[in-house]
Amino acid sequence: MLLVLSEEHKEHLSFLPKVDAAVVGEFGRIALEFLKKGTSPKIYEGAARKLCVPVEMVQHGVEGLMFLMTESSKHMISEVDFLDSVLVLGFGEELNQALLQLYLQHRSQIRSILSLLPSNLPAYHNLEWRLDVQLASRSLRQQLVPMLTMRLLLATGGGHSAKVVQTDVTTLLHLITMLEAALAAMKTNHARRILRNIK
Amino acid sequence: MELSESVQRGLHSLADPSVFDSISFPVLVDVSFRSLLSSHADTALLDQPELKQMDQILLKQSHTAATTFILEAVKQNADKSTISSCLEEVTFSAERIEIFYNAYQKHKKELDRLLASIGRRPPQITDVSWRLQYHIKNGQVHKVNEPFYMISLNTENEGSSEDINFSCTMEQLQDLVGKLKDAAKSVEKAGQM
Repeated sequence: MLLVLSEEHKEHLSFLPKVDAAVVGEFGRIALEFLKKGTSPKIYEGAARKLCVPVEMVQHGVEGLMFLMTESSKHMISEVDFLDSVLVLGFGEELNQALLQLYLQHRSQIRSILSLLPSNLPAYHNLEWRLDVQLASRSLRQQLVPMLTMRLLLATGGGHSAKVVQTDVTTLLHLITMLEAALAAMKTNHARRILRNIK
Repeated sequence: MELSESVQRGLHSLADPSVFDSISFPVLVDVSFRSLLSSHADTALLDQPELKQMDQILLKQSHTAATTFILEAVKQNADKSTISSCLEEVTFSAERIEIFYNAYQKHKKELDRLLASIGRRPPQITDVSWRLQYHIKNGQVHKVNEPFYMISLNTENEGSSEDINFSCTMEQLQDLVGKLKDAAKSVEKAGQM
C-alpha cells in the first residue's frame, strides 16, 4: 500500500534535500531518539544554529521524518511501496535510498515502541506463591487449613501493580485444569487454520 | 475454659429445675444452637410456647449465657470432659450435661465452619474464565497478527466479589500454569509429610 502524504507534511519534508546527506542521517538519528525518549527543544536550537536556518524549519523537518517513519512502520509497507510513496516528494535517488535504509533498519524497533501505546489492558508479568497452613485465628483455635497465598504481578502501560490473593487446594487444582484447557485451545485445527491464514 | 460471672449466673439458672423444667430446658438448648446458626438475627426464635410462661429477663440472660458458652467451647475445640467439668461447676445435672453435649456434637461442624469464616483475609480466588483472541491490528500498529489470552480471575472477599482481568501471551500462560503446578506439587509433598 502507498502512503498518502498531506501537503503540510510534504512541505515539512521539503527541507531535507537542501542539506547534505550527513545532516539527513543526523536528523534521522534525532528523530528516532525522540520516538524513544520524547522531544527536546535544545537539540532543535543547536541544529538550527549550526545550519543557519530558523528553528521551526528544523523542528518541522525532524517531525516530518518521525511521522514518515511511524506511518510506514505502522502499516509495515514494503520497500517498493516506500520508495513509491517518497517519490512524490521529488527527492534525489540518494536521499530516497537513505530514507529507505533508515526505515528498514529501525522498523521493528519503531513497531515495538508503538505497540506500547495502547496498553490499557493489564498484562501478566509474574506470579509468586507460597504455601501456608492456618493454625488459628481470633475466632477459632486449633485449625489445620492449607492455603496458597499468591502475588500476581501485572504491568499496565508504564507502571506495575501487584495483587495479593489466596486460594485453597481444590480451587488451585480447578484453576490448573481450566488453564491447561485454555492452552490446548491454541493447538486445535481451528486455531491453527486462522493463525496460518491471517498474515 | 474461663467463663465470666454473668455467663456463670446465666448457666446457673439454666441448670435450675425450678427455673427451667424438664420440658423447657431442652427447648432452650436447641434454640441457643439454632440462633447461632441462622443467617439473620431471628428474634422470634425465643418465642417458643414452652418458654412463654417464664420470666423473660431470666430467659434472655440464660440464652445469652448459653450462646456465649457454646461459642467459647467451639472456639477452643473443647472435648467432652472439659465441657462436662465446666457445666458441673455451674450445677448442671448429669442428664442435662448429656442433653447439652448431644446438641453440641450435632452442631459442632457447622459452628466450626461459621467461626472459621469470620476474619480478615486477602481476596479468595473462586474461579477463572479465559478467552483466546487473535490480535489483528490496533490504532497504532497494523498487521500485528498475534494470538493472546484474556484471563479473568474471580475473587471474593467478605461477600463482595471482584474480577482481576489481564492479558497474556501463550508463553506467559505456560509460565503461569507451570508455577501453579509447582504449587500443587508442593501441596502434595506437604501432605505426605
